[in-house]
Amino acid sequence: MVYRKLPAGVQDVLPEECTLLNSLKDRLQSRFTRAGFRPVLSGALEYYDTYSEIANAVPQEKMFKMTDTDGKLLVLRPDMTLAIARIAATKLGDAPVRLSYFADKWDMQGAGSISSREIFQAGVECLGEEGALSDAQTVAFAIECLKETGLTGFTVDLGHVGYFKGILAGCGLSAADAERVRRFVNAKDSLNAERILRGAHVKESTLNTVLALPALFGGAEVLDRAEQLTENEEAREAVRHLKRVYGILCDMGYRDTVCFDLGAVRRLSYYSGIVFSGLLRELGAPVLSGGRYDRLADDFGKHIPAVGFAMGLKRILIALERQKKLPPAPLADVAVVCDEGEEGDAYRYYLTLLSEGKKVIFPPEYGEEAALRCKGKAKKVILIGKEGMEEL
Amino acid sequence: MICFALAKGRLAEESAALLEKCGIDTSVLKEDTRKLILTSADGGYRFFLVKPSDVPTYVEAGVADLGIAGKDTLMEQDKDLYEMLDLKIGECRLCIAGAPGRRDALTNPHLRVATKYVNTARRVFAERDEEAEIIPLNGSIELAPVTGLSDVIFDIVQSGSTLKANGLAVLEEVYGHITARLVANKVSLKLKAAEILPLVARLKEAVS
Repeated sequence: MVYRKLPAGVQDVLPEECTLLNSLKDRLQSRFTRAGFRPVLSGALEYYDTYSEIANAVPQEKMFKMTDTDGKLLVLRPDMTLAIARIAATKLGDAPVRLSYFADKWDMQGAGSISSREIFQAGVECLGEEGALSDAQTVAFAIECLKETGLTGFTVDLGHVGYFKGILAGCGLSAADAERVRRFVNAKDSLNAERILRGAHVKESTLNTVLALPALFGGAEVLDRAEQLTENEEAREAVRHLKRVYGILCDMGYRDTVCFDLGAVRRLSYYSGIVFSGLLRELGAPVLSGGRYDRLADDFGKHIPAVGFAMGLKRILIALERQKKLPPAPLADVAVVCDEGEEGDAYRYYLTLLSEGKKVIFPPEYGEEAALRCKGKAKKVILIGKEGMEEL
Repeated sequence: MICFALAKGRLAEESAALLEKCGIDTSVLKEDTRKLILTSADGGYRFFLVKPSDVPTYVEAGVADLGIAGKDTLMEQDKDLYEMLDLKIGECRLCIAGAPGRRDALTNPHLRVATKYVNTARRVFAERDEEAEIIPLNGSIELAPVTGLSDVIFDIVQSGSTLKANGLAVLEEVYGHITARLVANKVSLKLKAAEILPLVARLKEAVS
């Protein structure tokens, strides 16, 4: 009976959950629109080369591949931000633009307890923007979007990949080794990071700073510690930038919503500045992830500085459920039931209610018994008989 | 409250002793019980007793905040979590073993390797640009080369006595210093830092 089942890592979304998902989507969509973000869609199918021949190549084992009729290799879109970078570089003008999307992305390796292979995301991209204010506005908007979902008690964790990059600049490590060190630092695995750095005979001062990274997280005091740890100008500038962003966020009223982690070093070929993620006690993985990726569009022929974030809507629903914040399934405002022969009047009344913006059900059954069965499904039940209208 | 995933078996007693050294009341772990969730007497810790290879899964999902797992398991599973400390217990090595004196087997153009570390073995041979047929097994790995199921095995070696008893020897040590590690969920570490970090510091002191 394999043909009745679904492959690993994908799910049907049944009406109850889909209602919640749609209402979440509607609230975010309205928020995006009011904040000046314009919607965009992209095709699910793209050429394999679009994602494999760029500097930020998506690992081939993560992409779902198919063959086109002309023999060319196609993939299911593995990353919406890259798709938007491609659209912006090839199809939009030079003026800065703020875009938003609701879209799936696919990850061949993503099957797991809180991951899947088909990931529905809501996200925004601020294209053509630079500077601390742009970064702070984006983080602030991420916080407001998380509030809009109904979640409480979340924290946004901020980092900056420039700190790590600065520390390693000119230390003589090969690009491949630097990438391995980055992975270990990102996993807070100082042990293996040290093994590679010692193997490459990196200076003691560099070594100590890198090994301090995994513990460089917490409140704003982390930034002072980080600044004192290094003489490297790029690294210090990264910290100063975070301080500027933090200053603006404090002024905006988000002092208690943000924390820092300079050991959060995500892929350097992708991210170029601040990185951030939205964390909640109720879920072991981020519900929101974002950052600055100024070079992403370069591969598509145009330099467009950009910052943005994406939210995993499924994860947000799981977190809302754990926080017991999911609303019960909404009742219809009115149920209209009629006796035999009164269908026309009942239908016209039903249309009137709909046009007034009410949520109305009109079951395909006659009489008082049918009307009584509607109690519990609607706030008000109206029975239309020969003598007129009666509320039950 | 901190939720701790602990491996049953090889590492269980040593892990408990280490936690005890850090001032955690682990007396519940010594009770003879079939319960899989145990809460410390002071209510500060909840322990999940799980199969060693399941520790990373519980921690990655955030069901457990912290866990103690062997580096062999962590390498095999490649989960998204923080590896905080080398606890220096349960030390062993990941080795290729086979008939003694048959190092030439390693250059066999179609080497058959029996292992329960399928992903790690694939990675090791791929990095060397060597072809190998990986034969996944779940236990009694040493039986494979003895019966002709494989040419060699890729497995953890502690004292080497099981190898010796079956007429096998280490042909190559691939990873030395495979020890138990303290792992943390990526979100828990940040959001329960006030509880977790002092414990990590005490553990660090206890193992150094």
